[in-house]
Amino acid sequence: MKAFAAFFLFLSLLTAQQKRVFWAFRTPVKSQPPLSASNPIDGFIQAKLKEKGLNPAPKADPRTLIRRLHFDLTGLPPQPADLSRSYEQTVDTLLASRQYGERWGRHWLDVVRFGETDGGEHNYERFFAWPYRDYVIDAFLKDKPYNQFIREQIAGDVLEPNNPALVAATGFLVAGPWDQVSAELNKDKNLALQARMDELDDMVTTTFHTFQALTVNCARCHDHKFDPIPTRDYYRLADVFQTVGFGTRVVAAQDVQDDWKAKTQPIRDRLKRLEAALADIELPVKAKLLQTKYQDFDRSREGAAQRLPINPIWNRNFFAPAGARRFRFVITGHQGKVPKLERFMIRGANSVEWGEWIGKRKATDENPFIIELPFSGRFWEITWSCDRTRGSTDGAITVYRFEASDDGFKWRTVASSLDHVGANELDLPIVETQELIDNLPPEQRAQRLRLIDEIARVKAELKAVAEPAKLYSAVPKVPAPTYLLERGSVSKPKEEVSSGTLSAVSQLPTDLPKDQARLALADWIANPKNPLTARVIVNRVWYHHFGRGLVNTPSDFGLNGDQPSHPELLDWLAVSFMENGWSLKWLHRLILSSQAYQQSSQHDEKAFEVDADNRLLWHMPLRRMDAETVRDTMLAVTGNLDPQYGGASFMLQKKGDAGSYIYQALDNDGPEVWRRSVYRFVVRGGERIMLDNFDCPDPAVATPQRSVSNTPVQALTLMNNAFVLKQADFLAKKAEKQSKEDPVQQAYQLLFQRDPSPKERELAAKFLQHQPLSLYCRVLMNSNEFLYVP
Amino acid sequence: MSPNRRQFLWQAGGGLTGIALSQLFAEAATARHPGPHFTPKAKNVIMIFLPGGISAIDTFDHKPELEKHHGKATTGANTITPFFGKPGALMKSPWAFRPRGQSGKYISDLVPNIAGLTDDLTFIHSMVARSNAHGPALFQMSTGFIFQGFPAIGSWISYGLGSENANLPSFVVLPDRRGLPPCGVANWGNGFLPAAHQGVIFGDQREPIADLQAPASVPPKAQAASYDLLTQLNEEHLKANPGEDALVARIKSYEMAARMQISAPEVTDIRGESEATREMYGLNDPITRDYGFNCLLARRLVEKGVRCVQMYNGAHFGAPRVNWDGHEDLRANHGKQAAVLDKPTAALIRDLKQRGLLKDTLVVFTTEFGRLPISEGMGEGGRDHNPEGFTSFMVGAGVKPGMSHGATDELGYKAVVDPVTIYDFHATILHLLGLDHKDLRWYHNGIQRRLTDVHGEVIKSILA
Repeated sequence: MKAFAAFFLFLSLLTAQQKRVFWAFRTPVKSQPPLSASNPIDGFIQAKLKEKGLNPAPKADPRTLIRRLHFDLTGLPPQPADLSRSYEQTVDTLLASRQYGERWGRHWLDVVRFGETDGGEHNYERFFAWPYRDYVIDAFLKDKPYNQFIREQIAGDVLEPNNPALVAATGFLVAGPWDQVSAELNKDKNLALQARMDELDDMVTTTFHTFQALTVNCARCHDHKFDPIPTRDYYRLADVFQTVGFGTRVVAAQDVQDDWKAKTQPIRDRLKRLEAALADIELPVKAKLLQTKYQDFDRSREGAAQRLPINPIWNRNFFAPAGARRFRFVITGHQGKVPKLERFMIRGANSVEWGEWIGKRKATDENPFIIELPFSGRFWEITWSCDRTRGSTDGAITVYRFEASDDGFKWRTVASSLDHVGANELDLPIVETQELIDNLPPEQRAQRLRLIDEIARVKAELKAVAEPAKLYSAVPKVPAPTYLLERGSVSKPKEEVSSGTLSAVSQLPTDLPKDQARLALADWIANPKNPLTARVIVNRVWYHHFGRGLVNTPSDFGLNGDQPSHPELLDWLAVSFMENGWSLKWLHRLILSSQAYQQSSQHDEKAFEVDADNRLLWHMPLRRMDAETVRDTMLAVTGNLDPQYGGASFMLQKKGDAGSYIYQALDNDGPEVWRRSVYRFVVRGGERIMLDNFDCPDPAVATPQRSVSNTPVQALTLMNNAFVLKQADFLAKKAEKQSKEDPVQQAYQLLFQRDPSPKERELAAKFLQHQPLSLYCRVLMNSNEFLYVP
Repeated sequence: MSPNRRQFLWQAGGGLTGIALSQLFAEAATARHPGPHFTPKAKNVIMIFLPGGISAIDTFDHKPELEKHHGKATTGANTITPFFGKPGALMKSPWAFRPRGQSGKYISDLVPNIAGLTDDLTFIHSMVARSNAHGPALFQMSTGFIFQGFPAIGSWISYGLGSENANLPSFVVLPDRRGLPPCGVANWGNGFLPAAHQGVIFGDQREPIADLQAPASVPPKAQAASYDLLTQLNEEHLKANPGEDALVARIKSYEMAARMQISAPEVTDIRGESEATREMYGLNDPITRDYGFNCLLARRLVEKGVRCVQMYNGAHFGAPRVNWDGHEDLRANHGKQAAVLDKPTAALIRDLKQRGLLKDTLVVFTTEFGRLPISEGMGEGGRDHNPEGFTSFMVGAGVKPGMSHGATDELGYKAVVDPVTIYDFHATILHLLGLDHKDLRWYHNGIQRRLTDVHGEVIKSILA
C-alpha cells in the first residue's frame, strides 16, 4: 500500500511534461480509424497525412514490391523466377518459408542480446546455446502465439521441466554476458555477491526491456528518475530470478538418460578402444618426429631471448649460471588434467650433467619435484618434458618455475614459464599426415587406415542413437534471500524483500507467489490486461517493416523514450493483435496488405519540408541491408548458400590456444561456413569480422535498433575482403554459364531482377574491355542499388 | 538541411532529436559532433594502456614504510582480500627508488628512462577502480563501465569531436604486437555508438588496416577502374532516387576509402625517420622494436590529426605471461615488461615535446589496477591485484607538469588522499579535450548514456 501511495505522490509531483509518459501505462483502447479505408492502418496513417496536407506516395512497381517482400520477410533476394508470383502469393509463400523464421528470429536475437560466449576475461564458449536460437526461429516460423512465447522464455523450465524445447526457451534468461571470473573465482565475498546481483540485474533488465520496454534497472540505485518505478519494485523483481543460474544441462527424465547410457555403452567402449589403438600407432611416431624437429628448431634460434612455447615433448631453458645443489620444479598453472614431469636433465660446468627418467612425478606447490644433487656445482641449462613419448596436450603446463637453493629454505627462481614464447607467436614445426605415414612401418599403415574407417563407422552408429539434449539455459539455483540495497551497494543491505512486480501497472496485482514466482511474472506480462506487452511487440514488428517504430525507441516506452507518432494506431494494433490470438503472422499480413507498406520510396520535396523524418509515412524509406543480409545475399545470388535449417553453429572465429582467451578470425571461408549468418557462432568481443563493419552488434548489450553507419572502412571491406572477391568470382561464373553472350544481363537479373539500362550496358562494355567479369560483379556488389532495399 | 532530417538520414533509427548524429568520421567541420563544448586544451590524446596491472608501489609510488615492514604480516582495516585469496606478508619493492629531476620525486629503477622525465609528468597516485578482476576493471578503464559492450573512451571522443584528418580514422588502436589485450576488441568497441566511431587497428607496413588494399590479383589499374565504374553506377542510381542523402554519403565513403588507401600506408612508412629517431625509440633492439614502432606510429598519427590513439603495452593472458599480471614472480614479470616499455615510452614523450606536439597532445599512461603491497602467498615473489589505490600519469596539453595528485596510505594499500575514480579520470580527459562529460551523451535503451555514467568530477588541481 505504501508503494501505491508513493506512486500517487510521485504522480502529483510530476510536471505537465512528465505526465505524458503515462500513455504507456494506460490500457490501450481500440478506436475507429478516422478515415475509412480497406485496411484500418491506412485509415490512421492517411488521416495524419491529410492533417498536414500531405499525400502518400504512389504504389511501388511490382518488381520493387516483390524485392521488398523478399528482403523484409526473409533477408534474402528473390530469384528471377520469383517475380512471376503475385503480391499475395508471395506474402503467403514467404511467411510459410523457413527463411522467414531465420530472418525474424534474428531480429529477436538482437533484442535479447543472444551470444554464444560468456564475454569478459575468460570468454568461454557456450557450445550448446544454439538450441535457444533454434527455438526462437521455430517459434516465428510456426507462429507460436506471442503470449505463449513470453511464458516459455521466462519459465519454460517450470512449465515442462523434461521438455528440451521449453527448457531451451529459457536460454532467453541467460543469453547475455556472464562474468564467470567474478562469479566463480573471486575470493572477495562482497565482489562475488556484487557479481550475483549483476546477474540478477541482467535478467531483470532484459526481461523488462524486451517485453515491457521499460528501464527498470534505473531503480537499482534510486527510485527511477523519470518513470514510476521505485527501488523496492526493482528488488522484488530481482528476487523472482533468484532460482536461475547460468550453465549447461541435460534435459531428459533420469530413465531416458540412463537408457541412452546403457544403449550406447558398448558402442562408446568400442570407440574408445579403436581411438586408443589409432593413438598407439600415431602418437609415438609423431612425438618422436616432433622431438627432433623441436630440438633443431630450438638450435636454429640460438641466441633468441625466449625459448620455444611450453610443450609436452621437449623444453629447454637457459639461465644465469646457478651454483647450488638443490633445485626444485613447481607447476602452478595448467590446463586439463594435472601435469606430471617425466624426464628432467640439468647441465652445467665441466660438462657435468645430471638427469633422470623420473617416471611420472607431480610438481605442485605442496609437493614440488625436488632435485638434490650429490655435489654442488654451477648449472645453466635444463631440458625437460611431460609426455615425451606421446605428446599428449591434456595436462598442458601453463605456469611453472624452476628454482635453486643452497640451504633448502631460501629459493630463488632461475627459470620459469616467462622464459617461453607464447604459443601463438611462433609457428612450431608440425608433422604433416604424409610425413607421419612415411614413418610408419608398412603393416601399421594399412592398420591405421582400417582403424580410421572403423572409427567413422562406429561414430555414425553412436550418432544414430538419439542423445538427450544438452542445453545452455537457465539452470536451477537454490534461491538466496534478496535484500533491498541502499544505492545498489551489497555492503548496505536493508530489509529483505519477496517476489513482486511493478506497482505502476495498476491493472494487475503486484504480489507474486513465493513458489513459481517466475511463472507468475511471465503470466503477469502475458496477461491481456498488461498495458505494455502487446504495444511493445506490435511496435517492434512495425519497426522492422518500416525501418522506424511508431514509437522509435522500441525498448523504451518511458519518459526518456519517444512518443508514439500514431498513438491511436498503436493501440488499435495492440488490441487487435490480442484479439487475433497474439499471432505475429496475422500482424504481418495486416501490415503487408496496407497501402502504407506498398507505397514507393519516391522523394517528395513538399512532404520532406513538412516531415523530414518521415514519421507520417509519406513514402517508404530506402533501407540499407543489415550485415547478415549483405553476407547472405552474396551467397544466395551465387547459388552458394547452404540452406541447412537449424543445428549447431558454424564458426567464423576460434579461441586462441595456450590460455589466451582471444577469439581470432578463422581462415576457413568455404562451403562449410556458407550457411545463413544467423547460424554463425556468435562470439562476444572477438576479432572483428566483415559483419561488424555493417553494424552487426556485439551481443554484450541488447540492440533493439541497429545503427546504420557509413564508413570508409566499410567501403574497404566490401571492395577488398577476400570473401567478397570470391563470391564476385562465383557470380561471374554463374552469369557466364547462364549466358555466354550476355553475362551482364544475367548478373543484373540475379542481383536486381531487371535488365541493365542502355547507359549501364555502355558502362559495362567499357569496363569489360580491359577488366574481367569477376571485377565487374564485385563493383555491382558494392553498388548502392545492391545495398539499399527500396 | 534541418537537424531532424540529418539525424534521420545519418542515424536511421537510433535516438532522439539533437542527441545523436552518426557521421562519416571525416567530416569534422560540419555540426555532426556535439563538441567541443568549450575551448579545448588538447586536440589529440594518446593513451598508453598497460593491461594486467602495473604495480604502482614498484614504480611511481614510493613507500619507504614498506621497506621497513618487509616480511611482516598485516592485519587491520587496511587489508584487502586478494583476488586469489592468498595473502602473504608485506613485500618491499625489488627495485631501488631514487630522487629524480628538480622535484626530487622518488621513482624506481624499474623505469629509468621514464623516471628521467619526472619533472614533466603529472602523477595521480590515488586511482580507484571498481573491480579486482581483470575483465570488469579493463572494461571500466576502457569504457567507463564494468560491463562489456559500452563504447570505448576513444569512440566517445571520436563522436564528440570527429577527426581532423579526412583520410584517416579518428580513433586508432595499436595493440601490443605480441597479441590483443585481455578481453580483446571489446576494449575499443564502439558499443552503441555508430560503427564510424570504432577503434581501427593499425598494423605495420604490410597491412596498415585490414582490407586496406585489394589482393595482388587485382592490379592498381583494375582497382582504379573499379572505383570509377562504381561511382558512375551509383550516380545513375542516385538520379533515379533523388533526395536521398544516405546514397550520397555512401558515394563519398568510397572516395574516402580510396584516399585512405594512400594515406594509411604513408603513416606507417617510417623510412623517412632519422637514425637518431630510430635509435631513440629502440627500433634497433629486438626487445623494444615492436613497441617502439607503435610509439613512433602514435606520434606520426597525432601529427596527421588522428584524434585518439589507444596503445597497449602488454597482451592477453596465457603462458607465458605477456602482460603486467605479475602473480608469480614480480621481479621477473615486471622486469621483462619494463624492458619493453621504458625506453620507447620515454622516447615518445621526449619526441612529442621536442617537436612541439605536446602543446596540443595529451598523453595518458594507465592500467586497470595496481598491485598489493603484500606477496601473493607466504614467501612468494608475486603480487595480487589492487584496485583500491594505484597510479596513472598524464603529460602534455593542459596539465601541470611535475606534480603529484592524491596519495595512498603509507603501505600503498588504499587511496587515502583525494581518491580519483575512473569516472573522475575520464571526466578530466574529456575536459582537456574540450568536452563536458555531462553533456557528451547518447541515448540508448531508455537511458542517456555517458562515458562517466552518473558520476565524475574533473580533477581541477592538475589542470594547467
